[in-house]
Amino acid sequence: MKQIQMTTNPSFSLISTKKVIQMSDVWSSYDSKNFALEGINLSIDRGTIYSIVGQSGSGKSTLLKLMNGMMVPGKGIIKIDYVTPDMNNKKFKTMMHTIGYIPQSLGLIKNITVLDNILIGALPRLNKIQSLLKKFPENEVKEAKRILQLVGLTGKENRKVYMISGGEKRRVAIARALMQKPTILLADEIVSELDHVTAHEIMDLIIDVQKRTNLTAIMVHHDMQLALEYANRVAVIKDGKKILEIGVEGDNIVDFQTGDMTTEEIMEMYSDDPKK
Amino acid sequence: MTPKNNIIIGIIVALLVIASYNVDANPIDFVEGLPNLVIILEEIVAVEPKYIPTALWAMFETIQMAFIGTVVGIAIALPLSMLAARNLNSKFVYAPIRALLAAIRTFPSILWALLFVIMVGTGTFAGVLAIIMYTIGFITKLQYEAIETIDSDPMDAVGSIGVSKIQLISYVVIPESASHLLSQMLYMFDYNIRQTSILGLVGAGGIGFYIINYIKFFEYGKAAIFMLVVLITVLIIDWVSVKIRDKYIIKSQHGMDVPTK
Repeated sequence: MKQIQMTTNPSFSLISTKKVIQMSDVWSSYDSKNFALEGINLSIDRGTIYSIVGQSGSGKSTLLKLMNGMMVPGKGIIKIDYVTPDMNNKKFKTMMHTIGYIPQSLGLIKNITVLDNILIGALPRLNKIQSLLKKFPENEVKEAKRILQLVGLTGKENRKVYMISGGEKRRVAIARALMQKPTILLADEIVSELDHVTAHEIMDLIIDVQKRTNLTAIMVHHDMQLALEYANRVAVIKDGKKILEIGVEGDNIVDFQTGDMTTEEIMEMYSDDPKK
Repeated sequence: MTPKNNIIIGIIVALLVIASYNVDANPIDFVEGLPNLVIILEEIVAVEPKYIPTALWAMFETIQMAFIGTVVGIAIALPLSMLAARNLNSKFVYAPIRALLAAIRTFPSILWALLFVIMVGTGTFAGVLAIIMYTIGFITKLQYEAIETIDSDPMDAVGSIGVSKIQLISYVVIPESASHLLSQMLYMFDYNIRQTSILGLVGAGGIGFYIINYIKFFEYGKAAIFMLVVLITVLIIDWVSVKIRDKYIIKSQHGMDVPTK
């Protein structure tokens, strides 16, 4: 069934079905022996916030790279709006600009300005001449400045990225992703290494943007508390397996599905976590 | 000092002695030749000052040759470096380009100069062509290595939004490696001035042309004056380029604020 969703910005994708990302029995590995992911199944509803929680090396970053086509699975099926994410897939290439990706290190270009970094999100919309001359059309610059204001960076547009703080860098990365006019946002540990207050500011910003634009946000965290606080659903990954998926509504857990581990084992795993 | 180290040092010393004997490198000859320097010094003092403007003009000509050679060389080298970088291209692209560049690099500049003297005749143009070729061979290696060391995360992040290869190069690769590339260009110019000073030895113009001719006619004093001009110019340019690098480039490489004035 198809439904039309209203967004604040009409250029965002309008026609959609409920499930936006689906993974079925996905296996992935960096080499032939060790698997980063083992038989992952998940499905993500449009316009929701889906958090993936796990310790370092659990395979959660790999999941994001599979979703934006930077990696392809060894086995299994992944569909993003019914298209297989793969950089060599022509159909996927035409929709890559609708997926905003923020790597853990943010991937900003440090010796250009904040505004220039944000404008990079508009690159897929430039024609060859504009791109060659590095001349962004007036409406794109206006849009970049609007987003700059939205993420709270007004007045910082001409600062070089290496001159701004860690929290501000994250805002730039979010702004660059928003400049793409995405329907999906993938963020890899965007608030790790930040102090508690700044981390919540950044998360609040993402929630605000998500509500305005009906984004589907997939966020990787290692802090379970933070994930539960902000997500509609939380998946817990351990050693490449999904061991738990939780549905959250407000402060209540509404749905609880365990995978290969028992509830006791999971509780034990997180009892040592100082953040818990 | 382990016995193994002693053996290695012993072997190196033995090779040094054998090689010196073979090439007739006798330290005694060096000591005996030292008084000849005094003769040259006497001749320098005797040189009339009217030669100094000629020497300066020849040096200026040399700097201009180096400038053209460096600018044109870099303009050709930059796209080649992009094609030779392993993080931007498939093996089928970078491997042949690298082989070509390695072949260009095998020739020292003086051999290129000799080749171009045969092609276009003696004079400064042959020297400029030699510097262009040498610059291409030399700086591409520095540049593609700098490009390969840039952080892969901005490339991944920007690459994943579906931009073209050209966009990736002009919006990510060049800004990310700009400070290294600029520093290398400055170094190349500095280096090319020294090189151009000797290209005249094979007839490819510049101040070296005067030096070799004075030496041929036993005018050691005049040759020495011209050599002094080279020495002083190189020292000045070296000092200026170190200052520029410190002030504008090194700081930005370390993520510090760069003064705009």
